[in-house]
Amino acid sequence: MREPSAPSPPLLDVQASAEAEDELVRSAQRGDALALSALVDRLAPFVGGICGPIALEHGEDAAQEALIAVLRDLPALREPRALYGWARRIAAREAVRHARAARHAPALGEATPLPAPGDPSLAQDVRRVLEALAPEQRAILMLRDLEGLSEHEAAALLGVEHGTVKSRLSRARSAFRRRWSS
Amino acid sequence: MSAEVRWPVVELDPVARLHALAAAMPWVSLEERVIEAPFARVWSYIEDMEHGVPQFEGNVRRIEIVSRDGDRLALRSFGPGGFAMKLDAVLRPGWCIMRGTLGEIGMAAAPVGPTATRFAHFEGSRWLGRAARPLFRRFVRRDLARLAALATSDGKGTSPS
Repeated sequence: MREPSAPSPPLLDVQASAEAEDELVRSAQRGDALALSALVDRLAPFVGGICGPIALEHGEDAAQEALIAVLRDLPALREPRALYGWARRIAAREAVRHARAARHAPALGEATPLPAPGDPSLAQDVRRVLEALAPEQRAILMLRDLEGLSEHEAAALLGVEHGTVKSRLSRARSAFRRRWSS
Repeated sequence: MSAEVRWPVVELDPVARLHALAAAMPWVSLEERVIEAPFARVWSYIEDMEHGVPQFEGNVRRIEIVSRDGDRLALRSFGPGGFAMKLDAVLRPGWCIMRGTLGEIGMAAAPVGPTATRFAHFEGSRWLGRAARPLFRRFVRRDLARLAALATSDGKGTSPS
């Protein structure tokens, strides 16, 4: 049985809201401190949600550097509505860079076997599964399943070969499905 | 992918966020230090703005809250010599941003365990630009030293809380 869905907001409200967001970004681009504060409120969890699954224990450093890069280069953004796509690309690349720089990150071709299920904490399970993947795989897995990008878009966004990543990504996703659908 | 999967997420604390915000305002000077006092005590000087801020902020002799709407404040500050300035601000625990016609002020804090606090502070003026950063750096360092001295003192007659 499907849950009753919430009524959609009127089209005019959605448009007004989008225009208000555009104006917020433009004010922030001009250096308005309060607009920047509001933008930080929105971008910090967005960037943190991307960097966490990819960079794991280095996620905080990656998220801070990504947020700094986004805000420092904000005046160069031409279209306010492109903000989140642009921030996603910066965050994902920053997270992969931090994870790759970590000493024990497995290389793309050397990912260790996925651990067996059975840990008491589900969150801990997720973390262990992610740790067994190469950073690029974590990035594509997260961008595909959390952010809703296609594999091709995610690979292009990260600047990695789609074909090379695809087979390993497929195995990682199968393991995830087996674990969390059982 | 099952909706039950809980992905690891990162929450940036207010101090980390303030560094990022300052990156978009290249005319401000930001300094950070650890104050050996609990977060609640340190932040009480910012939270009780009218009584606390003039005790450490050298360019503010007096400050009045004109209106308050949630975490948004309209303020009037009086500097040395009685110079008055209108400010709009966001104030919530660990986060304070003020925007005036001639300058901007930012403060953020995060606990370091139960007895210490990371505190970051910036000041600057878009109007005066980057050339004024050394001047504001001096102001910020002076303010941080004063706040640290207040927060780590025995509290007699100084704490606004």
